[in-house]
Amino acid sequence: MFTCHLADGRFGEQSLPDLDSITGSLTGNREALASVPIDAIIRILDALGKKVLRNAGINTLPGVSFIALWLRRENLEKLCEINYADRRYIDGFRRNDLNLFMMAEPRGIVCQWIAGNMPTLGFFSLVQAILSKNASLVKMPEENIPLLLAILRDLETITIDHGGTTYHGGTVLGSIAVVSFEGKNPGDSEKFSLAADCRVIYGGSEAVRAISRLPCRDHCETIIFGPKFSFAVFDREYIESAALDRGLDLLAKDVAVFNQMACSSPHVLFLERSSIPLETLVGRLQRSFETLPPALKNQPIPSSLSSRIINIRALYRLSEGKNCTAPQDLGWTILTDENISLEDPVQGKCIFVKEVDSVDQVIPLITHRIQALSIGIPDPGKRERFAREATYRGVDRVVTPGAIHDFTLPWDGIMTLNRLVRWVILKPT
Amino acid sequence: MMPDSGPDPARIAAIRDAIIAEHPYSRNDGQRSGNLLPVIRQQLTIARRSNPVINDYLRKLGIEVDAMESLEDVPPIPVQMFKLFDLRTCPEDAVVKILQSSGTTGGVPSRIPLDKSTTLSQIRALKSILADYMGKSRRIFLVIDHEGINSPAHAFSARTAGVRGLSIYARKTFYLLKEVDGELTLNMPAIREIIEKYSGEDVYAFGFTYIIWTVFCEQIRKENLRFSFRDFILFHGGGWKKMQKLAVSKETFSASVASVFGAAPRSILDFYGMAEQTGIIFVDCPEGNKHVPGFSQVIIRDPFTLEPCGIGEPGFIEVMSILADSYYDQAVLTEDIGVLVGVDDCPCGRKGRYFRFISRVEKAEARGCGDTFRE
Repeated sequence: MFTCHLADGRFGEQSLPDLDSITGSLTGNREALASVPIDAIIRILDALGKKVLRNAGINTLPGVSFIALWLRRENLEKLCEINYADRRYIDGFRRNDLNLFMMAEPRGIVCQWIAGNMPTLGFFSLVQAILSKNASLVKMPEENIPLLLAILRDLETITIDHGGTTYHGGTVLGSIAVVSFEGKNPGDSEKFSLAADCRVIYGGSEAVRAISRLPCRDHCETIIFGPKFSFAVFDREYIESAALDRGLDLLAKDVAVFNQMACSSPHVLFLERSSIPLETLVGRLQRSFETLPPALKNQPIPSSLSSRIINIRALYRLSEGKNCTAPQDLGWTILTDENISLEDPVQGKCIFVKEVDSVDQVIPLITHRIQALSIGIPDPGKRERFAREATYRGVDRVVTPGAIHDFTLPWDGIMTLNRLVRWVILKPT
Repeated sequence: MMPDSGPDPARIAAIRDAIIAEHPYSRNDGQRSGNLLPVIRQQLTIARRSNPVINDYLRKLGIEVDAMESLEDVPPIPVQMFKLFDLRTCPEDAVVKILQSSGTTGGVPSRIPLDKSTTLSQIRALKSILADYMGKSRRIFLVIDHEGINSPAHAFSARTAGVRGLSIYARKTFYLLKEVDGELTLNMPAIREIIEKYSGEDVYAFGFTYIIWTVFCEQIRKENLRFSFRDFILFHGGGWKKMQKLAVSKETFSASVASVFGAAPRSILDFYGMAEQTGIIFVDCPEGNKHVPGFSQVIIRDPFTLEPCGIGEPGFIEVMSILADSYYDQAVLTEDIGVLVGVDDCPCGRKGRYFRFISRVEKAEARGCGDTFRE
């Protein structure tokens, strides 16, 4: 049994035994979306960003202000350019250098399995489907659906003029359906998977493997944003520079945003040995955590996470050569030890801090599981060399402190919009 | 208050013995801190000297034992740490027994070293608690489990601890179940003997809640058997997570089990306890509240601030005790959620704090794409 929360432009819960009526409306409505020029779609999304920013009901929630920033026209245009080379390919055939007419056709219905770790993840996934003119059938965890619907409601009243034609946000809305169902129910999961022309899967290892095994249509493309881990590395020059305090503030914020639930959340900070003792550096990071805004510092956590934090703190306090710096509450935790290794994420703002003789010692730890590396390495040559080594071994994004969650493409090494379209040709006569 | 000139094990033992000798529920909550804290201070001073791991723990927390002003200041050790560290606080050659409890989750056992004085304190404490619920006379003891659970060859578990601990008032012990090819089934010869020879006697029983319900009650109903005793009390604990999945409420359980034994539902007493604090069980009173005996304290801690919760606010259950000289049981933070129901004013007349167990903490895995670095 499916619970439909949005379909055919209408909000409201409805129980459905199958997805036939939803896929029927999506198939019809995606034609209307495909007829809207990409620039008009971008302008509708830009207007949505501005409305979201003014929406007092949601604009203070974590990650929502970034949505508004991300939906700026210039940003969306750049994302399209990076993915399509020329965004006009998504509107129709254009002659290319091989003297062929080429076009980016939407794949059709994109079924999206959204993980529950980041409340705004579903929206970013949706916008990518919209920018590739696909219809979206989204499976969301129940707890994150109200936020997504609150954002999408603002589409209803948006109209823009483009090239003398009026376009409506409702056209975009009609191409979206949001459902929830018991993921462990194989029958419903199969129906959902078989509705897809393209599957986009976000989740941990177990979820990704289970969903990937579901039957799908032969032409169906599957895009996986699987389990990932992120961390940070500061070199000696950066640590001894005036930039350090700001860098630590930004790192603390990176740790705090999404409460370390995102694949881009840093869990370990490697510090190259410098003239500043580790204890002093931990003290500075402590100050950065202490000055976080209360909304980031005191995010509610489930008791299972409380328990994990309590246990890791005790483990470090009972162990020789390890230490823990933390307040009385579970707001944040700094765990120090001498092992040059990555550590399983605890989440809830628990960062492992380790000193290394050289940042190069971190390189062998990198695998394809590493998504983002936040680096404080000021020297451009060293920075690029380090990035080349890291990306060769598996890192997808090498960023600066404060930018680790900035959602841009490529993500996880994937040009998503490009994967969401079929490149078709028309041979000129 | 005891002078803090230095720990004196003999004096600690004397004070502790005096506290255990009191009626376990006679003191008001306000008297507990003054009663227990001096003993705990002395015990932690010794713990610190005898175990560098514990010393490290207290040092890293910036704890000055003598500066602790209330029981809330005593740093609790998370119960999981018994699986990872040797938390012994007595000389190695004083240890007479190491309890190894696999607990209910995870494969690594907790290791709880016991010396002679701790074992004796635990036995006396448990006797004192049980006596308050069933009197001091010995009775027929029914174990709703199989005999192997008490075998030295069998791993020590919460079930083993329960059987051994509660047997202290046993005149004669019967195991009502037997294990056949790994399956539990009714021990019919024992059951027949009890019905034939001991009907009309005073009897008490112990069992694991889930096993009582899914094995014993189910099979005894099929056999259409009923017991009839003059006075009957069942102490049962554990397995409520599984019971919740079966949608069996405490009331349904009590009524159903009571009918099997021809007793009133109020004779079916749920208790809360753990191997890491052997000697103390928190037993339901007729009001359904779990009471804290005088040699112990319970603090419910907020799952985020870790500050003590007020009445009605759910949080982690921290259990405190003065029973152990041989390991750190002075303050143990469990992974159970409970709620403080009241203080000193339970209609049952017992003084001190009273609380209710709500649930075990779910071992939820990290969800989503933020995941382990391991490939």
